[in-house]
Amino acid sequence: MKIGLFIPCYIDAFYPKTGIATLELLEKLGQEAEYPMDQTCCGQPMANSGCNKDARETEELFVRNFSKYDVIVAPSGSCVHHIRDNFDAIEQTDAVKHIRQNTYELVEFIHDILKVREFPWAEFPHKVGLHNSCGTLRALRTASMSERNEPFFSKPMDLLSAVKGIEFAKPKRPDECCGFGGTYSVTEEAVSSRMGLDKVTDHHNAGAEYIVSADTSCMMHQQGCAERNGVPIKFIHIAEILNGARA
Amino acid sequence: MSNKPVKHAQAAAEFLEDDPHRLFHDERLWDMRQKRDQQMHGMPEWQELRDRASRIKEHTLANLPTYLEQFEENARRNGIHVHWARDGAEHNRIVAEIMGKHGAKSLIKSKSMITDECEMREYLEPRGITVTETDLGERIQQLDHQLPSHVVVPAVQKLTGDVAKIFAKYYGTDPNITDPHKLAEAQREAARPVLLSGDTGMTGGNFIVAETGGFVVCTNEGNADLSANLPNVHIATLGIERLVPRVEDLGVFVRLLSRSALGSPITQYTTHFRGPRKGGEMHVILVDNGRSDRLAMPQFWSSLKCIRCGACMNTCPVYRRSGGQSYGSVYSGPIGAIIDPTFNAKKFSTLPFASTMNGSCSNVCPVEINIHEQIYDWRRVLAEKHDIPFVKREIMKMAGRLLAQPRLYRVSIEGTEIALKTMPRFVLYNYLNPWGKHRELPHPVKETFNSWYRKNRLKTSTKKEHESA
Amino acid sequence: MSSRDTILDKLRRNRIPREDDYELPPVKVLGDLDKSIERFEKSLQLMGGEVLPQKAGQTIEDVVRARFPNTTSICSAVPEVEGTLKITDLKTHEQSNEVDVMVVRSPFGIAEMGSIFLSEVELFDHLADVHLAQHLVVLLSREELTANMHTAYQERSEFKTAFYGVLMSGPSATADIQGVLIRGAQGVRTLSLIWTS
Repeated sequence: MKIGLFIPCYIDAFYPKTGIATLELLEKLGQEAEYPMDQTCCGQPMANSGCNKDARETEELFVRNFSKYDVIVAPSGSCVHHIRDNFDAIEQTDAVKHIRQNTYELVEFIHDILKVREFPWAEFPHKVGLHNSCGTLRALRTASMSERNEPFFSKPMDLLSAVKGIEFAKPKRPDECCGFGGTYSVTEEAVSSRMGLDKVTDHHNAGAEYIVSADTSCMMHQQGCAERNGVPIKFIHIAEILNGARA
Repeated sequence: MSNKPVKHAQAAAEFLEDDPHRLFHDERLWDMRQKRDQQMHGMPEWQELRDRASRIKEHTLANLPTYLEQFEENARRNGIHVHWARDGAEHNRIVAEIMGKHGAKSLIKSKSMITDECEMREYLEPRGITVTETDLGERIQQLDHQLPSHVVVPAVQKLTGDVAKIFAKYYGTDPNITDPHKLAEAQREAARPVLLSGDTGMTGGNFIVAETGGFVVCTNEGNADLSANLPNVHIATLGIERLVPRVEDLGVFVRLLSRSALGSPITQYTTHFRGPRKGGEMHVILVDNGRSDRLAMPQFWSSLKCIRCGACMNTCPVYRRSGGQSYGSVYSGPIGAIIDPTFNAKKFSTLPFASTMNGSCSNVCPVEINIHEQIYDWRRVLAEKHDIPFVKREIMKMAGRLLAQPRLYRVSIEGTEIALKTMPRFVLYNYLNPWGKHRELPHPVKETFNSWYRKNRLKTSTKKEHESA
Repeated sequence: MSSRDTILDKLRRNRIPREDDYELPPVKVLGDLDKSIERFEKSLQLMGGEVLPQKAGQTIEDVVRARFPNTTSICSAVPEVEGTLKITDLKTHEQSNEVDVMVVRSPFGIAEMGSIFLSEVELFDHLADVHLAQHLVVLLSREELTANMHTAYQERSEFKTAFYGVLMSGPSATADIQGVLIRGAQGVRTLSLIWTS
């Protein structure tokens, strides 16, 4: 299985250690992953703003970068949601269809495709609050949502439960959106920041030392809100914990 | 109607400035959402009910003319006068005509969003007709000259002190008495004489039943049953999309409506009107007002399934923190964001952007409207019609170009310390500035992932190949 | 063209996209089919209604008077209760507005919701008067319970015959002021039920 590693722009520029952890984790799991050097973005920012036509060339570039791989893996739920569900600014050729059907968010790739449940090297002796981004929760469906009458399931929790020493905080509103929403974070900055602050406060009040998530973009926003308001909570991507980060 | 785009972001920011209002609003609506969840958990058949509700509505909408004619025929047979209104203006004229025939001057009405949509009060009042809202929340909003904030709880953005002030002004009560029981009692006392002397009653209708020629009104306060039954004339304003084919279909919808709305099993009153009472006169006005146009919109027709429960508002984290007034429309929240632009795409062009598209709304919707996907589709439609701000369009065009050119992109991003400085350039200054108003920027790092990968993983050969290319 | 024809014509042209045949699902009974008195009482109490126990030797009239010991105004729409006046004696709404306690009989109740049904038949066409009264007492036969909303709409012909049919589930209520639940909004302040056989 030839894996193309997609490291979205936020991670590339601001959270490279998340990208490194993703790659190292895949390698620890016996996979060979390759990072195409010319990648930029999946086109989501333009598409989510309604400017789908402006996403065309970015999507074309994405296809050029990734069509040669059997699967594409990204440590970002929202980008994978875009590729899988909304990547339609360009003609739906076989190459495009192949990409859309074979792009996975890291947690679901490990959980559903590799079916790995053990991470013997991983130990994280902290209390964490799990933040499922709306993309993973309600689009990729990697966990059950409170809106539905469905049995509990959580792929990220399944994986994290294998980590030694980890404890989970129980926030009051685990499924509430944190307010990032891509360009929403700036077009409606007041509501967005309020939601972010409410989110980190909820986790903090539940005793979480860390917020852990499969989405860096949500955490970048939450971290900004926490730091501005002095909420003492740290942030870590699930890839880093599974790869063996201790703090 | 003014065409100026509603300034949702600004109005929401203002709403957030007052802590007591902000906190109560969020908690109150979240409590309604949680009570809804509790009801859902007691019903293993919940999902099947939603599916059936959705399918019944889809079937009805697919066969709307047939069912409307069936309803009309049965209603006429029952002695109901059936009127048809193409738009709000025609609806208002019909109401004035019916009242004119009776020399009537006082309309007592229960809550109905559709009469607000038709701007009926604004039409009738200059013509010498007094319109009195008899629902408590709607009455508060009427006295305060505001649109309803929420389809089910119209004055949910107000605190007891706000209501006390309004009642003091109009009912002469003590502004310092803020006990909700006393305020509700003041409304009861003020409404009774108006109800007793009203010469025309008006209700909306939650469901219209084609098979019986009747309609159903779901309320809690008892004001609708008083408004409809006290005067000799009862006018019901009904949106044409409110049809269901059979009386048994009501079982599905009544079981879902109040549970989704308030988290109570049923409204206190579920009233089935099928014809005029002895000695009375009953009129129904079937209102189109844009609904037939919406039916032809491939992405948006299914919003006509809406039963106005407000569950999407209660769950919406943006609505809970913005307040209903910030939407500048009769219909606020997620459902407002997808139906308001059908009335005026320019004015309500900002509403589909007042969302994080988190998808909670679609999953609580009892008739399974894909609300957040329609929000996404509206953004496209509006962008293509150029109904989004020029600056945003330009930014997206620039971002699209930059992200399609890996070399140029790499230059602008490489070295995050530089990136932090150059990011604003590629996304324009006024685009990134709002980020920092209530948030810190991400921390600069030594090197990007791209650069790390080049150093640590890229084989020498490919590295060379890449550099020479 | 009339507005009616304009609208219908437009609806015929503006059909929704036919990607599905949109068949009407057949009527189906879902949910809990328990139609016990216990379930009904629990539901009624949740909606703010009360059940009045009838002790040995008490007539229904006694039960009503025991619940409202100080009232001088009991209007009856049932033969079991004499009251102070009959619903058919009410001539004006102003007169009805003075009624303290109204006693009626409901033809059936719905266990799922604790709802009782009233139509022009039981109210002798005094539709508004029942809502003007301050308190409502409802007589309901133990044999006349249906399980839930599905069974109610399927079994009870009243929904197809009544011109006015209200399901009352507890007394009037509002939570429009700062979310505080207030039982007794604009209609009856209390709703009490007495079982009959």
